[in-house]
Amino acid sequence: MTGQPAPPRYQMVNVHNGYVIIEKEVGGHAARAYFSTEPVPPKEEYREGSRIWKYGGMAQSFQFDILDRETGTVTPFREMLGLMYYGCARPGTDLRRLGELAHEDRISIYVALAYEAPDGSPRQMPIEKLSILNRAFNERLRSAEKKILIVPDCFGLYNELSHGEIMIDFGLTAMEEEA
Amino acid sequence: MKLREIAEKLELKPLTKDLYDKDVTGVYISDMVSDVIANAHAGSLLVTAQIHNNVIAAANLVDVAAIIVAQGKTPTEDVVKMADKAELAVFATPLSRWQVATRLYEVGLR
Repeated sequence: MTGQPAPPRYQMVNVHNGYVIIEKEVGGHAARAYFSTEPVPPKEEYREGSRIWKYGGMAQSFQFDILDRETGTVTPFREMLGLMYYGCARPGTDLRRLGELAHEDRISIYVALAYEAPDGSPRQMPIEKLSILNRAFNERLRSAEKKILIVPDCFGLYNELSHGEIMIDFGLTAMEEEA
Repeated sequence: MKLREIAEKLELKPLTKDLYDKDVTGVYISDMVSDVIANAHAGSLLVTAQIHNNVIAAANLVDVAAIIVAQGKTPTEDVVKMADKAELAVFATPLSRWQVATRLYEVGLR
């Protein structure tokens, strides 16, 4: 016995740094996002079917897989856009109220948001993957009785929130406080 | 090392309620939320110049012991309230991130 703590079961692997590129519909209110490892997104407007899209912003982010050391299984999380903390949700929203309730039991709720599917339809993070993600993050905790609960986007947040509310690195070049 | 001892030695300005009996086991310096999520360890001090509420969200997710906001920046009242609720201590200092890092090394954090 060496007295060394056991290595964690889960490990974040295959981490790729990149950018979340936001596009907005010209003449509409739709927005969508995709991950790119290229720092220079297309800035020109382009037509896709009956809709025209234009560049709407970008943020630094990363993609990763989770390795389960016990089984050797690597689970990719490439479809995950980001996490949103309940405390960043607007007061009075379902997420905020649910988060406040869970917080009483030292549970911090995060919502996992996924990129759209290739056909443009909204996508949910699979529960099986969120289960792994929950175990991986909870394994890292040290504070007594604290728990992290990452849930799928049952709140329809993808369609209504500003991408700036997601835990991605928006506006890193403008870290100054706004006047 | 206790958070309180570090705060006193570096003359950090506490912004949150008294949560300073936590043990600190390391330091992580970053302004990127994604970097903090991927690499910061529980029990570490996070030194940053970011004051966006997503820093609190990331720090809570990985269970850092406290946040030191460097460069003389001050988070808004809402951000401090969020940190209080998450039982996450936040300090402010006029020191640069580099100066904070060297001072932390001097007081014994490795």
